[in-house]
Amino acid sequence: MKTLAVFSAVLSVLATAYASSDSKSTLPSTFKPPQVFKNLNLVHVISVEKNYVKENINVLIENIDKEAQDEYYLPFTGDQMSRVGGFEAKDRKDASVGHFKVEAVEFDPESDIQYYRVHLPSPLKPGDRQALGITYYVLKAYKPLPASIAQDEQQFLTYSFSAYAPSVYTTSKQKTEVKFPSSAIPDYTKLPGSGDVQEFPQKQGTKLTYGPFDEKPAGAAEPVEVRFEFTKPVSHVSELERDVEVSHWGGNVAFEERYTLYHRGANLSTLFNRVKWAQQQYYNPVSYALKEMKFPLRVGSADAYFTDVIGNVSTSKFRSNKREALLEIKPRYPLFGGWKYPFTIGWNSDAKHFLRKVSGSSYVLNVPFLEGPKQPEGVEYESVVLRVVLPEGAENVKYQTTIPTSSITEAKVEIHKTFLDTVGRTTLVIKARNLVDDFRDRELIVTYDYSLLASLRKPLIIFITMIGVFVAAWVVGGVELKFSKK
Amino acid sequence: MDSSLHEVWQAASGSPFLPTVGKGSQFFVGFLLLLIGLALGGLFTLNRSLVNVPVLGIPASLAVAFGVVYMFCAVGVYV
Repeated sequence: MKTLAVFSAVLSVLATAYASSDSKSTLPSTFKPPQVFKNLNLVHVISVEKNYVKENINVLIENIDKEAQDEYYLPFTGDQMSRVGGFEAKDRKDASVGHFKVEAVEFDPESDIQYYRVHLPSPLKPGDRQALGITYYVLKAYKPLPASIAQDEQQFLTYSFSAYAPSVYTTSKQKTEVKFPSSAIPDYTKLPGSGDVQEFPQKQGTKLTYGPFDEKPAGAAEPVEVRFEFTKPVSHVSELERDVEVSHWGGNVAFEERYTLYHRGANLSTLFNRVKWAQQQYYNPVSYALKEMKFPLRVGSADAYFTDVIGNVSTSKFRSNKREALLEIKPRYPLFGGWKYPFTIGWNSDAKHFLRKVSGSSYVLNVPFLEGPKQPEGVEYESVVLRVVLPEGAENVKYQTTIPTSSITEAKVEIHKTFLDTVGRTTLVIKARNLVDDFRDRELIVTYDYSLLASLRKPLIIFITMIGVFVAAWVVGGVELKFSKK
Repeated sequence: MDSSLHEVWQAASGSPFLPTVGKGSQFFVGFLLLLIGLALGGLFTLNRSLVNVPVLGIPASLAVAFGVVYMFCAVGVYV
Protein backbone atom coordinates (compact mmCIF):
# COMPACT_ATOMS: atom_id res chain seq x y z
CA MET A 1 0.00 0.00 0.00
CA LYS A 2 1.57 3.24 -1.08
CA THR A 3 0.57 6.39 0.61
CA LEU A 4 1.38 9.70 -0.95
CA ALA A 5 1.72 12.51 1.52
CA VAL A 6 1.49 15.15 -1.16
CA PHE A 7 0.33 18.11 0.82
CA SER A 8 3.39 18.92 2.89
CA ALA A 9 5.67 18.17 -0.05
CA VAL A 10 3.87 20.41 -2.49
CA LEU A 11 3.31 23.21 -0.06
CA SER A 12 6.91 23.29 1.10
CA VAL A 13 8.31 23.69 -2.40
CA LEU A 14 6.18 26.70 -3.14
CA ALA A 15 8.97 29.02 -4.16
CA THR A 16 6.89 31.79 -5.69
CA ALA A 17 5.57 33.72 -2.79
CA TYR A 18 2.32 35.22 -3.95
CA ALA A 19 0.08 36.94 -1.54
CA SER A 20 -2.49 39.63 -2.02
CA SER A 21 -5.01 40.61 0.58
CA ASP A 22 -7.74 42.32 -1.43
CA SER A 23 -10.29 39.56 -0.96
CA LYS A 24 -11.44 38.03 2.25
CA SER A 25 -10.67 34.52 1.10
CA THR A 26 -7.11 35.31 0.00
CA LEU A 27 -4.44 33.69 2.11
CA PRO A 28 -0.63 33.71 2.03
CA SER A 29 0.99 31.20 -0.30
CA THR A 30 2.49 29.24 2.57
CA PHE A 31 -1.00 28.59 3.89
CA LYS A 32 -1.70 25.16 5.29
CA PRO A 33 -5.01 24.28 6.91
CA PRO A 34 -4.57 23.98 10.69
CA GLN A 35 -4.85 20.42 11.98
CA VAL A 36 -7.78 21.12 14.26
CA PHE A 37 -10.23 18.44 13.18
CA LYS A 38 -10.19 14.69 12.95
CA ASN A 39 -12.48 12.72 10.62
CA LEU A 40 -13.89 9.99 12.84
CA ASN A 41 -15.95 8.24 10.22
CA LEU A 42 -16.10 9.12 6.55
CA VAL A 43 -18.21 7.71 3.74
CA HIS A 44 -17.31 8.90 0.28
CA VAL A 45 -19.99 8.19 -2.32
CA ILE A 46 -18.93 8.70 -5.94
CA SER A 47 -21.76 8.50 -8.41
CA VAL A 48 -20.78 8.01 -12.06
CA GLU A 49 -24.35 7.28 -13.11
CA LYS A 50 -24.63 10.45 -15.19
CA ASN A 51 -22.31 12.20 -17.59
CA TYR A 52 -20.88 14.20 -14.71
CA VAL A 53 -19.60 12.86 -11.40
CA LYS A 54 -21.52 13.59 -8.24
CA GLU A 55 -19.47 13.14 -5.10
CA ASN A 56 -20.87 13.01 -1.64
CA ILE A 57 -18.69 13.11 1.46
CA ASN A 58 -20.53 12.28 4.65
CA VAL A 59 -18.18 12.75 7.54
CA LEU A 60 -18.34 12.89 11.30
CA ILE A 61 -15.76 15.42 12.44
CA GLU A 62 -14.35 16.05 15.89
CA ASN A 63 -12.56 19.16 17.10
CA ILE A 64 -9.18 17.98 18.49
CA ASP A 65 -7.90 21.51 19.13
CA LYS A 66 -8.00 23.41 22.42
CA GLU A 67 -10.17 26.17 21.01
CA ALA A 68 -13.50 26.31 19.26
CA GLN A 69 -13.16 25.98 15.46
CA ASP A 70 -15.51 26.79 12.60
CA GLU A 71 -13.52 26.38 9.35
CA TYR A 72 -13.31 22.98 7.67
CA TYR A 73 -11.11 22.61 4.56
CA LEU A 74 -11.42 20.21 1.67
CA PRO A 75 -8.49 19.88 -0.77
CA PHE A 76 -8.59 19.57 -4.57
CA THR A 77 -5.84 19.55 -7.17
CA GLY A 78 -5.54 22.62 -9.38
CA ASP A 79 -6.94 20.67 -12.33
CA GLN A 80 -9.89 19.38 -10.31
CA MET A 81 -10.54 22.84 -8.92
CA SER A 82 -11.28 24.17 -12.40
CA ARG A 83 -13.82 21.39 -12.96
CA VAL A 84 -15.51 21.20 -9.57
CA GLY A 85 -18.79 23.00 -9.09
CA GLY A 86 -22.06 23.05 -7.23
CA PHE A 87 -20.25 22.71 -3.91
CA GLU A 88 -22.70 22.53 -1.01
CA ALA A 89 -22.34 21.53 2.63
CA LYS A 90 -25.02 20.86 5.19
CA ASP A 91 -25.60 19.42 8.63
CA ARG A 92 -26.44 15.73 8.33
CA LYS A 93 -28.40 15.73 11.59
CA ASP A 94 -30.28 19.00 11.31
CA ALA A 95 -31.69 19.86 7.89
CA SER A 96 -33.25 23.10 9.15
CA VAL A 97 -29.83 24.80 9.33
CA GLY A 98 -29.73 24.99 5.54
CA HIS A 99 -26.61 25.16 3.43
CA PHE A 100 -23.43 26.34 5.10
CA LYS A 101 -21.37 29.19 3.75
CA VAL A 102 -18.78 27.74 1.38
CA GLU A 103 -16.04 29.46 -0.57
CA ALA A 104 -13.09 28.57 -2.73
CA VAL A 105 -9.93 29.67 -0.97
CA GLU A 106 -7.50 31.74 -2.99
CA PHE A 107 -3.95 31.61 -1.81
CA ASP A 108 -1.68 30.73 -4.68
CA PRO A 109 -2.93 30.10 -8.21
CA GLU A 110 0.29 28.20 -8.99
CA SER A 111 -0.17 25.71 -6.18
CA ASP A 112 -1.19 22.20 -7.05
CA ILE A 113 -3.42 21.96 -4.02
CA GLN A 114 -6.39 24.28 -3.68
CA TYR A 115 -9.05 24.30 -1.01
CA TYR A 116 -12.72 24.80 -0.48
CA ARG A 117 -13.55 26.23 2.93
CA VAL A 118 -16.75 25.31 4.77
CA HIS A 119 -17.88 27.69 7.49
CA LEU A 120 -19.72 25.85 10.23
CA PRO A 121 -22.76 27.87 11.34
CA SER A 122 -21.53 27.88 14.94
CA PRO A 123 -17.96 27.17 16.15
CA LEU A 124 -17.42 23.59 17.28
CA LYS A 125 -16.20 23.40 20.90
CA PRO A 126 -13.11 21.27 21.70
CA GLY A 127 -14.07 17.61 21.75
CA ASP A 128 -17.42 18.24 20.09
CA ARG A 129 -18.55 16.37 16.99
CA GLN A 130 -20.55 17.32 13.94
CA ALA A 131 -21.91 15.32 11.01
CA LEU A 132 -21.15 17.10 7.73
CA GLY A 133 -22.69 16.28 4.38
CA ILE A 134 -20.63 17.72 1.53
CA THR A 135 -21.79 17.46 -2.08
CA TYR A 136 -20.00 18.58 -5.21
CA TYR A 137 -19.91 17.79 -8.91
CA VAL A 138 -16.96 17.12 -11.18
CA LEU A 139 -17.28 18.06 -14.84
CA LYS A 140 -15.28 16.74 -17.79
CA ALA A 141 -14.55 13.79 -15.55
CA TYR A 142 -14.36 10.85 -17.96
CA LYS A 143 -12.13 9.59 -20.71
CA PRO A 144 -13.59 7.13 -23.22
CA LEU A 145 -11.66 3.87 -23.59
CA PRO A 146 -11.36 2.85 -26.40
CA ALA A 147 -11.16 6.43 -27.58
CA SER A 148 -12.85 5.66 -30.90
CA ILE A 149 -15.54 3.07 -31.65
CA ALA A 150 -17.93 2.16 -34.46
CA GLN A 151 -21.31 3.86 -34.50
CA ASP A 152 -23.22 0.78 -33.28
CA GLU A 153 -20.75 -0.23 -30.57
CA GLN A 154 -21.01 0.23 -26.85
CA GLN A 155 -19.17 3.07 -25.20
CA PHE A 156 -16.91 2.60 -22.18
CA LEU A 157 -15.68 5.42 -19.97
CA THR A 158 -12.92 5.57 -17.36
CA TYR A 159 -12.76 7.64 -14.23
CA SER A 160 -9.74 8.08 -11.95
CA PHE A 161 -10.00 9.04 -8.32
CA SER A 162 -8.45 8.28 -4.97
CA ALA A 163 -9.69 5.32 -2.96
CA TYR A 164 -9.07 7.44 0.14
CA ALA A 165 -11.23 10.51 0.37
CA PRO A 166 -9.31 13.75 -0.11
CA SER A 167 -8.80 15.34 3.29
CA VAL A 168 -6.41 17.66 5.10
CA TYR A 169 -7.19 15.93 8.38
CA THR A 170 -6.41 12.51 9.82
CA THR A 171 -9.19 10.06 9.02
CA SER A 172 -9.84 7.24 11.49
CA LYS A 173 -12.20 5.15 9.42
CA GLN A 174 -13.45 5.53 5.89
CA LYS A 175 -14.87 3.81 2.88
CA THR A 176 -15.47 4.81 -0.72
CA GLU A 177 -18.54 3.66 -2.62
CA VAL A 178 -18.76 4.01 -6.38
CA LYS A 179 -22.20 3.86 -8.01
CA PHE A 180 -22.42 2.92 -11.68
CA PRO A 181 -25.21 3.24 -14.27
CA SER A 182 -25.18 -0.55 -14.85
CA SER A 183 -23.41 -3.64 -13.56
CA ALA A 184 -21.16 -3.74 -16.65
CA ILE A 185 -17.85 -2.73 -15.05
CA PRO A 186 -15.17 -4.62 -17.00
CA ASP A 187 -12.12 -3.10 -15.31
CA TYR A 188 -11.32 -1.59 -11.97
CA THR A 189 -8.20 -1.22 -9.84
CA LYS A 190 -7.90 -3.89 -7.17
CA LEU A 191 -6.35 -3.15 -3.81
CA PRO A 192 -5.19 -5.55 -1.08
CA GLY A 193 -7.90 -5.96 1.53
CA SER A 194 -7.75 -5.48 5.25
CA GLY A 195 -9.38 -7.33 8.12
CA ASP A 196 -11.54 -10.21 6.91
CA VAL A 197 -11.82 -8.85 3.37
CA GLN A 198 -9.30 -10.41 0.98
CA GLU A 199 -9.37 -7.75 -1.70
CA PHE A 200 -10.92 -4.36 -2.36
CA PRO A 201 -13.24 -3.37 -3.95
CA GLN A 202 -16.27 -5.48 -3.18
CA LYS A 203 -18.78 -5.56 -5.99
CA GLN A 204 -22.52 -5.61 -5.31
CA GLY A 205 -24.64 -5.15 -8.41
CA THR A 206 -23.99 -1.66 -9.73
CA LYS A 207 -21.87 -0.65 -6.75
CA LEU A 208 -18.18 -1.01 -5.90
CA THR A 209 -16.99 -0.47 -2.33
CA TYR A 210 -13.39 0.31 -1.44
CA GLY A 211 -12.86 -0.04 2.29
CA PRO A 212 -13.47 0.24 5.15
CA PHE A 213 -9.91 1.44 5.60
CA ASP A 214 -8.19 2.02 8.94
CA GLU A 215 -6.55 5.26 10.03
CA LYS A 216 -4.99 7.33 7.22
CA PRO A 217 -2.87 10.46 7.67
CA ALA A 218 -3.82 13.83 6.23
CA GLY A 219 -3.35 14.01 2.48
CA ALA A 220 -3.27 10.24 1.97
CA ALA A 221 -4.17 9.22 -1.57
CA GLU A 222 -4.47 5.92 -3.39
CA PRO A 223 -5.14 6.39 -7.09
CA VAL A 224 -7.60 3.94 -8.58
CA GLU A 225 -9.36 3.79 -11.92
CA VAL A 226 -12.64 2.27 -12.99
CA ARG A 227 -13.88 1.50 -16.49
CA PHE A 228 -17.59 1.05 -17.07
CA GLU A 229 -20.16 0.85 -19.82
CA PHE A 230 -21.92 4.09 -20.60
CA THR A 231 -23.75 3.77 -23.91
CA LYS A 232 -25.34 7.17 -23.53
CA PRO A 233 -24.31 10.59 -24.76
CA VAL A 234 -21.70 12.44 -22.70
CA SER A 235 -23.29 15.83 -23.33
CA HIS A 236 -21.30 18.83 -22.27
CA VAL A 237 -22.48 22.43 -22.67
CA SER A 238 -19.34 24.55 -22.86
CA GLU A 239 -21.36 27.73 -22.79
CA LEU A 240 -24.99 28.50 -22.12
CA GLU A 241 -26.19 32.04 -22.64
CA ARG A 242 -29.62 32.44 -21.14
CA ASP A 243 -31.56 35.67 -21.65
CA VAL A 244 -34.67 36.56 -19.70
CA GLU A 245 -36.36 39.67 -21.06
CA VAL A 246 -39.08 41.34 -19.04
CA SER A 247 -41.63 43.54 -20.81
CA HIS A 248 -44.08 45.61 -18.80
CA TRP A 249 -45.84 47.01 -21.87
CA GLY A 250 -46.43 43.60 -23.37
CA GLY A 251 -46.93 41.74 -20.09
CA ASN A 252 -44.43 39.18 -21.29
CA VAL A 253 -41.29 37.42 -20.13
CA ALA A 254 -39.24 36.16 -23.08
CA PHE A 255 -36.63 33.43 -22.67
CA GLU A 256 -33.85 32.60 -25.06
CA GLU A 257 -31.09 30.07 -24.53
CA ARG A 258 -28.05 29.68 -26.75
CA TYR A 259 -26.19 26.42 -26.24
CA THR A 260 -22.76 25.35 -27.39
CA LEU A 261 -23.14 21.62 -27.00
CA TYR A 262 -20.38 19.03 -27.26
CA HIS A 263 -20.37 15.26 -27.02
CA ARG A 264 -17.35 14.29 -24.94
CA GLY A 265 -17.67 10.56 -25.50
CA ALA A 266 -15.82 8.19 -27.84
CA ASN A 267 -15.15 9.37 -31.39
CA LEU A 268 -16.32 7.43 -34.43
CA SER A 269 -13.66 5.01 -35.68
CA THR A 270 -15.08 5.13 -39.23
CA LEU A 271 -17.06 7.69 -41.19
CA PHE A 272 -20.64 8.23 -40.14
CA ASN A 273 -22.98 5.97 -42.12
CA ARG A 274 -26.48 7.43 -42.45
CA VAL A 275 -28.03 4.21 -43.85
CA LYS A 276 -26.60 2.13 -41.01
CA TRP A 277 -27.85 4.75 -38.56
CA ALA A 278 -31.39 4.55 -39.99
CA GLN A 279 -31.32 0.74 -39.80
CA GLN A 280 -29.96 0.82 -36.27
CA GLN A 281 -32.93 2.92 -35.17
CA TYR A 282 -35.13 -0.13 -35.78
CA TYR A 283 -33.20 -3.12 -34.53
CA ASN A 284 -31.06 -1.54 -31.79
CA PRO A 285 -32.04 1.98 -30.82
CA VAL A 286 -29.58 2.09 -27.89
CA SER A 287 -26.75 4.34 -28.99
CA TYR A 288 -24.19 6.63 -27.49
CA ALA A 289 -25.18 9.33 -29.98
CA LEU A 290 -27.33 12.21 -28.80
CA LYS A 291 -30.45 12.27 -30.93
CA GLU A 292 -33.12 13.98 -28.86
CA MET A 293 -33.51 16.43 -26.01
CA LYS A 294 -36.55 17.21 -23.87
CA PHE A 295 -37.07 20.58 -22.26
CA PRO A 296 -39.89 20.58 -19.71
CA LEU A 297 -40.73 24.28 -19.55
CA ARG A 298 -42.95 26.08 -17.08
CA VAL A 299 -46.68 25.66 -17.60
CA GLY A 300 -48.00 28.55 -19.68
CA SER A 301 -44.99 28.79 -22.01
CA ALA A 302 -45.84 29.62 -25.62
CA ASP A 303 -44.32 30.46 -29.04
CA ALA A 304 -41.36 28.06 -28.69
CA TYR A 305 -38.70 28.05 -31.38
CA PHE A 306 -35.59 26.00 -32.14
CA THR A 307 -32.95 27.34 -34.51
CA ASP A 308 -29.30 26.77 -35.30
CA VAL A 309 -26.76 28.50 -37.56
CA ILE A 310 -28.68 27.45 -40.70
CA GLY A 311 -32.08 28.63 -39.46
CA ASN A 312 -35.23 27.03 -38.16
CA VAL A 313 -34.92 23.32 -37.35
CA SER A 314 -38.23 21.66 -38.14
CA THR A 315 -37.63 18.48 -36.11
CA SER A 316 -39.08 19.81 -32.90
CA LYS A 317 -42.35 19.28 -31.07
CA PHE A 318 -43.91 21.63 -28.60
CA ARG A 319 -46.80 20.54 -26.45
CA SER A 320 -48.29 23.18 -24.19
CA ASN A 321 -51.42 22.72 -22.12
CA LYS A 322 -52.69 23.26 -18.60
CA ARG A 323 -50.47 20.58 -17.07
CA GLU A 324 -47.21 20.83 -19.00
CA ALA A 325 -45.20 22.66 -21.62
CA LEU A 326 -42.77 20.22 -23.17
CA LEU A 327 -40.35 21.14 -25.93
CA GLU A 328 -38.79 18.12 -27.64
CA ILE A 329 -36.03 18.84 -30.09
CA LYS A 330 -34.02 16.62 -32.42
CA PRO A 331 -30.69 18.09 -33.53
CA ARG A 332 -30.09 18.33 -37.26
CA TYR A 333 -27.80 15.28 -37.03
CA PRO A 334 -27.18 12.66 -34.32
CA LEU A 335 -24.31 13.88 -32.19
CA PHE A 336 -21.36 11.47 -31.79
CA GLY A 337 -18.25 11.79 -29.65
CA GLY A 338 -16.13 14.83 -30.41
CA TRP A 339 -18.94 16.50 -32.36
CA LYS A 340 -20.38 19.90 -31.65
CA TYR A 341 -23.86 21.32 -32.10
CA PRO A 342 -24.57 24.96 -31.31
CA PHE A 343 -28.27 25.80 -31.20
CA THR A 344 -30.80 28.27 -29.86
CA ILE A 345 -34.18 27.76 -28.28
CA GLY A 346 -36.62 30.33 -26.99
CA TRP A 347 -40.14 30.81 -25.76
CA ASN A 348 -42.50 33.37 -24.27
CA SER A 349 -44.55 33.36 -21.12
CA ASP A 350 -47.07 35.69 -19.52
CA ALA A 351 -45.48 38.07 -17.03
CA LYS A 352 -48.02 37.13 -14.35
CA HIS A 353 -46.28 33.76 -13.85
CA PHE A 354 -42.94 35.35 -12.97
CA LEU A 355 -43.52 38.97 -12.04
CA ARG A 356 -45.32 40.44 -9.04
CA LYS A 357 -45.89 43.97 -7.88
CA VAL A 358 -44.54 44.62 -4.39
CA SER A 359 -45.68 48.17 -3.71
CA GLY A 360 -45.83 51.46 -5.58
CA SER A 361 -43.23 51.19 -8.29
CA SER A 362 -41.38 48.17 -6.90
CA TYR A 363 -41.51 44.76 -8.59
CA VAL A 364 -40.22 41.28 -7.85
CA LEU A 365 -39.25 38.76 -10.53
CA ASN A 366 -38.79 35.04 -9.85
CA VAL A 367 -37.36 32.94 -12.69
CA PRO A 368 -35.51 29.60 -12.75
CA PHE A 369 -31.75 30.17 -12.84
CA LEU A 370 -31.34 27.25 -15.21
CA GLU A 371 -33.92 25.38 -17.25
CA GLY A 372 -32.21 23.39 -19.96
CA PRO A 373 -32.84 19.82 -21.10
CA LYS A 374 -33.91 17.08 -18.73
CA GLN A 375 -32.07 14.00 -19.90
CA PRO A 376 -31.80 10.63 -18.14
CA GLU A 377 -28.01 10.80 -18.60
CA GLY A 378 -27.75 14.38 -17.33
CA VAL A 379 -26.21 17.52 -18.78
CA GLU A 380 -23.27 19.51 -17.49
CA TYR A 381 -22.68 23.24 -17.99
CA GLU A 382 -19.15 24.58 -17.95
CA SER A 383 -20.11 28.22 -18.19
CA VAL A 384 -23.51 29.84 -17.74
CA VAL A 385 -24.17 33.49 -18.55
CA LEU A 386 -27.60 34.55 -17.37
CA ARG A 387 -28.83 37.95 -18.48
CA VAL A 388 -32.00 39.35 -16.98
CA VAL A 389 -33.05 42.24 -19.21
CA LEU A 390 -35.30 44.49 -17.13
CA PRO A 391 -37.37 47.34 -18.58
CA GLU A 392 -35.65 50.55 -19.61
CA GLY A 393 -35.20 52.80 -16.58
CA ALA A 394 -35.45 50.06 -13.93
CA GLU A 395 -33.20 50.82 -10.99
CA ASN A 396 -32.24 49.62 -7.53
CA VAL A 397 -31.71 46.05 -8.75
CA LYS A 398 -31.21 43.42 -6.06
CA TYR A 399 -31.00 39.70 -6.58
CA GLN A 400 -30.80 36.47 -4.67
CA THR A 401 -30.36 32.94 -5.95
CA THR A 402 -30.39 29.45 -4.50
CA ILE A 403 -27.52 28.37 -6.78
CA PRO A 404 -24.43 27.66 -4.60
CA THR A 405 -22.65 31.00 -4.20
CA SER A 406 -19.27 29.38 -4.80
CA SER A 407 -20.41 28.64 -8.38
CA ILE A 408 -21.15 32.28 -9.20
CA THR A 409 -18.10 33.99 -10.64
CA GLU A 410 -19.45 37.40 -11.48
CA ALA A 411 -22.61 39.48 -11.12
CA LYS A 412 -23.03 42.96 -12.51
CA VAL A 413 -25.65 45.39 -13.76
CA GLU A 414 -25.14 46.79 -17.23
CA ILE A 415 -27.07 48.42 -20.07
CA HIS A 416 -28.51 46.55 -23.05
CA LYS A 417 -29.89 48.49 -26.02
CA THR A 418 -32.51 47.09 -28.35
CA PHE A 419 -35.77 48.11 -30.08
CA LEU A 420 -37.32 51.48 -29.14
CA ASP A 421 -34.65 52.15 -26.51
CA THR A 422 -33.10 55.50 -25.79
CA VAL A 423 -31.03 55.03 -22.64
CA GLY A 424 -30.98 51.25 -22.83
CA ARG A 425 -32.43 48.55 -20.60
CA THR A 426 -31.06 47.75 -17.18
CA THR A 427 -29.57 44.25 -17.39
CA LEU A 428 -28.47 42.01 -14.57
CA VAL A 429 -25.71 39.68 -15.75
CA ILE A 430 -24.80 36.68 -13.61
CA LYS A 431 -22.00 34.38 -14.65
CA ALA A 432 -21.70 30.95 -13.12
CA ARG A 433 -19.47 27.99 -13.82
CA ASN A 434 -19.54 24.23 -13.45
CA LEU A 435 -23.23 23.62 -12.95
CA VAL A 436 -25.18 20.49 -13.74
CA ASP A 437 -28.82 19.78 -14.48
CA ASP A 438 -29.44 18.94 -10.80
CA PHE A 439 -29.63 22.70 -10.34
CA ARG A 440 -32.53 22.95 -12.77
CA ASP A 441 -35.32 25.09 -11.37
CA ARG A 442 -33.19 26.65 -8.63
CA GLU A 443 -34.75 30.08 -8.41
CA LEU A 444 -33.39 33.53 -9.06
CA ILE A 445 -35.28 36.39 -7.42
CA VAL A 446 -34.72 39.93 -8.64
CA THR A 447 -36.33 43.06 -7.22
CA TYR A 448 -36.26 46.43 -8.93
CA ASP A 449 -37.95 49.82 -8.97
CA TYR A 450 -39.62 50.98 -12.15
CA SER A 451 -41.42 54.31 -11.99
CA LEU A 452 -44.41 55.35 -14.10
CA LEU A 453 -42.30 58.11 -15.66
CA ALA A 454 -39.66 55.58 -16.75
CA SER A 455 -42.35 53.36 -18.24
CA LEU A 456 -43.73 56.29 -20.27
CA ARG A 457 -40.32 56.96 -21.83
CA LYS A 458 -41.00 54.94 -25.00
CA PRO A 459 -44.34 56.59 -25.97
CA LEU A 460 -42.96 59.97 -24.93
CA ILE A 461 -40.02 59.66 -27.34
CA ILE A 462 -42.35 58.67 -30.20
CA PHE A 463 -44.76 61.47 -29.23
CA ILE A 464 -41.99 64.10 -29.39
CA THR A 465 -40.81 62.73 -32.73
CA MET A 466 -44.34 62.86 -34.17
CA ILE A 467 -44.93 66.42 -32.93
CA GLY A 468 -41.66 67.29 -34.63
CA VAL A 469 -42.98 65.78 -37.87
CA PHE A 470 -46.20 67.84 -37.64
CA VAL A 471 -44.31 71.06 -36.94
CA ALA A 472 -41.90 70.30 -39.76
CA ALA A 473 -44.83 69.63 -42.11
CA TRP A 474 -46.36 72.96 -41.17
CA VAL A 475 -43.05 74.83 -41.61
CA VAL A 476 -42.20 73.14 -44.90
CA GLY A 477 -45.80 73.64 -46.11
CA GLY A 478 -45.52 77.37 -45.41
CA VAL A 479 -42.49 77.86 -47.63
CA GLU A 480 -43.55 79.86 -50.72
CA LEU A 481 -42.00 78.26 -53.77
CA LYS A 482 -43.93 80.21 -56.44
CA PHE A 483 -42.82 83.56 -57.82
CA SER A 484 -44.60 86.40 -56.11
CA LYS A 485 -47.46 87.96 -58.16
CA LYS A 486 -46.74 91.41 -56.79
CA MET B 1 -27.00 39.55 -1.25
CA ASP B 2 -30.25 39.89 0.52
CA SER B 3 -31.64 36.73 2.03
CA SER B 4 -35.15 38.04 2.47
CA LEU B 5 -36.09 38.37 -1.20
CA HIS B 6 -37.89 35.05 -1.10
CA GLU B 7 -40.20 36.47 1.55
CA VAL B 8 -40.78 39.53 -0.63
CA TRP B 9 -41.82 37.19 -3.44
CA GLN B 10 -44.12 35.21 -1.13
CA ALA B 11 -45.65 38.36 0.34
CA ALA B 12 -46.49 39.69 -3.12
CA SER B 13 -48.36 36.51 -4.10
CA GLY B 14 -51.66 38.39 -4.18
CA SER B 15 -50.56 40.89 -6.79
CA PRO B 16 -49.27 39.25 -9.97
CA PHE B 17 -48.22 41.72 -12.64
CA LEU B 18 -50.92 42.34 -15.23
CA PRO B 19 -50.26 44.65 -18.18
CA THR B 20 -52.60 47.58 -18.95
CA VAL B 21 -53.55 45.94 -22.24
CA GLY B 22 -53.57 42.15 -22.29
CA LYS B 23 -51.69 40.12 -24.88
CA GLY B 24 -54.90 39.22 -26.72
CA SER B 25 -56.01 42.77 -27.42
CA GLN B 26 -52.63 44.38 -28.11
CA PHE B 27 -52.98 44.08 -31.87
CA PHE B 28 -56.48 45.58 -31.87
CA VAL B 29 -55.49 48.50 -29.61
CA GLY B 30 -52.26 49.15 -31.52
CA PHE B 31 -53.99 48.99 -34.89
CA LEU B 32 -56.86 51.23 -33.78
CA LEU B 33 -54.52 53.85 -32.31
CA LEU B 34 -52.34 53.86 -35.43
CA LEU B 35 -55.47 54.23 -37.58
CA ILE B 36 -56.65 57.19 -35.47
CA GLY B 37 -53.18 58.70 -35.73
CA LEU B 38 -53.19 58.24 -39.50
CA ALA B 39 -56.68 59.76 -39.82
CA LEU B 40 -55.82 62.79 -37.70
CA GLY B 41 -52.56 63.18 -39.61
CA GLY B 42 -54.55 63.04 -42.86
CA LEU B 43 -56.92 65.73 -41.58
CA PHE B 44 -53.93 67.89 -40.71
CA THR B 45 -52.53 67.61 -44.22
CA LEU B 46 -55.82 68.98 -45.60
CA ASN B 47 -55.41 72.18 -43.62
CA ARG B 48 -51.87 72.83 -42.44
CA SER B 49 -52.48 75.83 -40.19
CA LEU B 50 -50.59 76.76 -37.02
CA VAL B 51 -53.74 76.14 -34.97
CA ASN B 52 -54.05 72.62 -36.34
CA VAL B 53 -50.52 71.67 -35.16
CA PRO B 54 -51.65 71.42 -31.50
CA VAL B 55 -55.34 70.69 -32.21
CA LEU B 56 -54.76 67.72 -34.52
CA GLY B 57 -51.01 67.12 -34.06
CA ILE B 58 -51.04 66.41 -30.33
CA PRO B 59 -53.86 63.82 -30.36
CA ALA B 60 -52.43 62.27 -33.53
CA SER B 61 -48.95 62.04 -31.98
CA LEU B 62 -50.34 60.55 -28.77
CA ALA B 63 -52.29 57.93 -30.73
CA VAL B 64 -49.26 57.05 -32.84
CA ALA B 65 -46.97 56.96 -29.76
CA PHE B 66 -49.04 54.37 -27.89
CA GLY B 67 -50.05 52.66 -31.13
CA VAL B 68 -46.44 52.02 -32.07
CA VAL B 69 -45.61 50.61 -28.61
CA TYR B 70 -48.58 48.24 -28.69
CA MET B 71 -48.00 47.26 -32.30
CA PHE B 72 -44.41 46.32 -31.42
CA CYS B 73 -45.74 44.08 -28.63
CA ALA B 74 -48.48 42.66 -30.86
CA VAL B 75 -45.96 41.43 -33.45
CA GLY B 76 -43.91 39.68 -30.79
CA VAL B 77 -41.16 42.21 -30.08
CA TYR B 78 -42.01 42.74 -26.45
CA VAL B 79 -40.58 46.15 -25.61
